[in-house]
Amino acid sequence: MTTVVKSRDLRAPRNALDRPAGRSGWLVVAGQEVQDLWKSGRGPLLLFCFSVLLSAVTYLASTNQALNFLERREAVNLLLQFAVAVGVLVTLIVSADGISGERERGTLESLLVTPVSRRGIIAGKLIAALSLWLAAFLVSVPYVWVLARAVGILSKALILGLVVGTIVAIGMASIGLLISAVCNSNKTSLAASAFLLLILFAPTQLPSGLPQGWFFDVLQLANPVASALSYLTTQLVQGAHWTEDLVYLVSPVITVVLAGGALILFGPGIVRLRAGGDAG
Amino acid sequence: MTRGILLTVILISLLMLTPAAAVASPVGVTVAPDRSDVSTVLGGRFTLKTEVTNTGSVPTGVLLAHLNVASVQGDIYVDPEDWSPARSQEFSLQPGDSRMLSWEIQAVNSGKFAAYVVVLPFGEEVAGTEELVVSPLVKLDVAPRSTVSAGLALPVVVLIPLALGATAAVTLIRARRRT
Repeated sequence: MTTVVKSRDLRAPRNALDRPAGRSGWLVVAGQEVQDLWKSGRGPLLLFCFSVLLSAVTYLASTNQALNFLERREAVNLLLQFAVAVGVLVTLIVSADGISGERERGTLESLLVTPVSRRGIIAGKLIAALSLWLAAFLVSVPYVWVLARAVGILSKALILGLVVGTIVAIGMASIGLLISAVCNSNKTSLAASAFLLLILFAPTQLPSGLPQGWFFDVLQLANPVASALSYLTTQLVQGAHWTEDLVYLVSPVITVVLAGGALILFGPGIVRLRAGGDAG
Repeated sequence: MTRGILLTVILISLLMLTPAAAVASPVGVTVAPDRSDVSTVLGGRFTLKTEVTNTGSVPTGVLLAHLNVASVQGDIYVDPEDWSPARSQEFSLQPGDSRMLSWEIQAVNSGKFAAYVVVLPFGEEVAGTEELVVSPLVKLDVAPRSTVSAGLALPVVVLIPLALGATAAVTLIRARRRT
C-alpha cells in the first residue's frame, strides 16, 4: 500500500519543464525507483532476511573447527556462492516487479506520460534493482571477511564476488524486466522469474558423484548462474589464476548482452499498457 | 649307491617343482626425493621432486609412482587428495635411465607429516607379488595460521542482522506513518 501511494505521488504527470535541469530522464527514474525501494522498507527488509541467511551459514562454517585449510576455502566458496545466488534472487524479484507491478497497481500509465523515454524508464528500473544487489554484496563483505581472512583469500573473494555477481545480477535483472514487461500479472512475473532462477540454480546442487558427461558440461557452460558459480569454485577452491577457466564467464556475459540488447531493442515496444492489465 | 643317487635326483626334482617364492624380483629402481624436509605454513604450496632411476639391466615396463601423505604426530586425519589432486604418474625406464617426477602439494593441515612416493608395477601383467620400492620420507612441518573462531564470528553474525532488522523496522514504520 505504501508503495502504491508513493508511486502515484512520484509519478504524477508532469511536462518537460518539470525535468530537473542537467539530469537525464533515466537518472530521474533511477533516483525515484531507488528511493521507492529503500524508503518503502522493501529493500531493508530483503537485506535483513539476506543477512539472517548469511549469518546462519557463516556461524555453521566458523564453529566447525574440524575443517582443514582446503575445506575452509570451500566454506568461503559456499558463502560467496550463497551470497551471489540469493543476492541475484532478490535482484531478480525486484526487477520482475518493475513493469508488471506498476501495471497492476495502475501507476504505469502515469509513468508513461512523463517526459522520459521508455528506454529511460527501463534503465532506471534496472539501476534500482541493481542497487539491491550492491547493497546485498556490501552486507556480505563482513561475513566473507570472517571466513576468508584465515585462509588468505579475502581480497580475491571480494573482487570475485563483486565482479562475477554484478555480471550475473545485470543479466538476471534484465531477464526479470523482460519477463515483467511481457506478463500482465505481477504474480505470473514473480513466479516465472523465481522459477527461472530455481532452474538455473538447481544444477549447482547436484551431487558431484553423479556421472557427468559432455552433455552435462555443455549444459553447465550454457547456464549463466551455474557457470558463474563454477568460476568462483575454480578460483577460490582450486586456486586457479583469474585468467584460467574464463570460459565459465562466457554465458553470463552473453546473457547480459542478449537480455540487455533485447531490453534496448524491444523495450519501447513491450513497456506499455495492456487491455485489462490493471486487473492482472 | 644307485639308490642314493636316485633319491638325490628325486629330491632335486621336487625342489624344482616347488612354487616360486612369495616375493618376486624387485622392480629394480631407486626413488630419491630432492630434499628431506619441508617447512611451510598452513595453505602453503610447494613442489616436491623425486628422481626415479632404473638400476637394473632390463627395461622396467610400465611403472606407477604414487604419492602419499601421512600424519606422523597426533591423530590428524589426512586426506591425501586434498594435499595433491594428482598423486599418480605412469612411466617406464630403460636400463640406466632416470625420470624426475614433480608433485604439486598444498599443506591443508597443520602439524607434522611425512610424504613419500611408492613405485609399483602397472598393467595387466602385474602378478601381485612384486616388491614395492619406496622413497625415503620427506618430513613436512606445517605451521598453523590463525583459524576462524566462533568468538570472532559471533559479533558479525549477530550484530549485522540486528542492525539491519532495526533499520528495516524503522523504515517500515516511517513508511506506514507517511501513508
